[in-house]
Amino acid sequence: MRGRLAPRALPSSRLMRVRESSVADISIPIAQARLSNEVVSRARALRGLIFRDRIFRIVTRAAAALVLALLGGVILSLAWGSAPTIRTFGLSFLITEVWNPVTDEYGAFAPICGTLITAFLAMIIAVPIGIGIAIFLTELCPQPLRRPIGIAIELLAGIPSIIYGIWGLFVFAPFLQAYVQPALINASQPIPILSTLFAGPPYGIGMLTAGIILAIMVLPFITSISRDVFETVPSVLKESAYGIGCTTWEVVRSVVLPYTRVGVIGGGMLGLGRALGETMATTFVIGNAHKISASILAPGTTISATIANEFTEAVGDLYTSALITLGLILFVITFFVLVAARLLLMRLDRKAG
Amino acid sequence: MNEMAQTARTNAVQNASREKIAVRGLSFYYGGSRALKDINLSFSENKVTALIGPSGCGKSTFLRVLNRMYDLYPNQRAEGEVLLDGENILDAKLDLNLLRSRVGMVFQKPTPFPMSIYDNIAFGIKLYEKLSKSELDGRVESALRRSALWDEVKDKLAASGLSLSGGQQQRLCIARTIAIKPEVILFDEPCSALDPISTSKIEELIDELTDDYTIVIVTHSMQQAARVSEYTAFMYLGELIEFDDTSKVFTSPREKRTQDYITGRFG
Repeated sequence: MRGRLAPRALPSSRLMRVRESSVADISIPIAQARLSNEVVSRARALRGLIFRDRIFRIVTRAAAALVLALLGGVILSLAWGSAPTIRTFGLSFLITEVWNPVTDEYGAFAPICGTLITAFLAMIIAVPIGIGIAIFLTELCPQPLRRPIGIAIELLAGIPSIIYGIWGLFVFAPFLQAYVQPALINASQPIPILSTLFAGPPYGIGMLTAGIILAIMVLPFITSISRDVFETVPSVLKESAYGIGCTTWEVVRSVVLPYTRVGVIGGGMLGLGRALGETMATTFVIGNAHKISASILAPGTTISATIANEFTEAVGDLYTSALITLGLILFVITFFVLVAARLLLMRLDRKAG
Repeated sequence: MNEMAQTARTNAVQNASREKIAVRGLSFYYGGSRALKDINLSFSENKVTALIGPSGCGKSTFLRVLNRMYDLYPNQRAEGEVLLDGENILDAKLDLNLLRSRVGMVFQKPTPFPMSIYDNIAFGIKLYEKLSKSELDGRVESALRRSALWDEVKDKLAASGLSLSGGQQQRLCIARTIAIKPEVILFDEPCSALDPISTSKIEELIDELTDDYTIVIVTHSMQQAARVSEYTAFMYLGELIEFDDTSKVFTSPREKRTQDYITGRFG
């Protein structure tokens, strides 16, 4: 603090004045008295600054505390709102498939499964493609193409989710229904597990469609984070791998990916977080059926889709409470995804030493 | 001047054991700017050749031509001929991975791969050879012994290569390079990031490696060039000014610019 003030406390003009006066007034004691006046005024200035600094500290601390208060408030109100549901159904709410507003019976199993399955499908599709694009952009892409492709990917991230929703419903789902799903169903018929996974009539909308739309939506996140972290690999490190005769693939697999895995996993987790919580696009294309099916072509629902669809019709207390409980569950799931990501990263860090 | 340099070169070649790499009329371009101008010289087998010269004179560029490392980057190209055992390595059809397995490189900064000490060495070997676990262990051990690192790391082969000290990391990189049995090893200022003790270890190592390898070393330290090399090439502004036995270059240089540089008058 004093260090910061030192230059300001001794402006040259003031010093000059002191010197001039000490030359003018021949008696030295007077000059000393003036000097100590300077010190007094300096101390006064300092006191003002200390006061300002204290306010500054309080304001920043309040800003930080606000985040905690908001987080706590959200958790509390979710817990408060879900109390009736928990009182009525207990933990069996989590594993009950029934969702019947008429008889006031609710279970979260179908939305929970739907959320996890669509997010999982999205990650299966988006992670390899996103990393692939990032590798292409950083290692293989001709220089003039890099920027256009990079910008295109960032634009993809900027498209509002409602647009993905209507595009998914009116364009993509009919396309899947007409061409892709029948082929999938036919091709997987003779294969035991796949025939269950791809069973049933081609609705167009359903878990798989939602998963693909989600994959498209999280792709830009995974791609741009992977690209950013791939660019942090020192070129000498890559050169030394090329220098012992590695091909591009070997350099990527053994040097680039291990060097950047923390960042890549971070990008993946960010994408997963978005896939779990994404509402609008999923609501459009998932079919909103409160049942669990072994087939990923069948319609289903997710937590956020259920809430978005039904909050307007939720009249009874228990109905509203059931929806809030779904919200709480989603909150807990995303929380655990983040914790799992942290633990994973910590373990990887330890292993790498 | 050219004639004298020519005679010097011829002398050097005559004294040499056998020429491993012959460079003929090599020019190098970064986009439009010419970084190497008509270089002619040859590197003798199982000898150490030092490239010296002030910063920006093209030493490192020259080194990066010898294993086509420049090929990773657009807008960089070389003209002329570089013959490795008579085969022109500037040929566009050349298998670059094979070339780089024959011409290894050690960089200015140690660059261990993000994996264990063992895997840092085994990785390169596994690219070319299918070996049993015990054979692989043997190869890793001999590479580490060869690079005088074995005693320091034998108890922690599973530890990350990044956990070693700078000097150890550089020896690990040398071990990694010799593990795949190259014919030529290029050193690009291998000691500039190291302390004097590590430097002297690396220099001893380079000395021992000449039994099996042809070595080209770029260095900013004239003492280092004098200590480790049999031949020295002095480069200035992309040109090869003087090339001769190291003792001659340092005691009785033909060119004034060489003399000025080695006596510290510029550079």
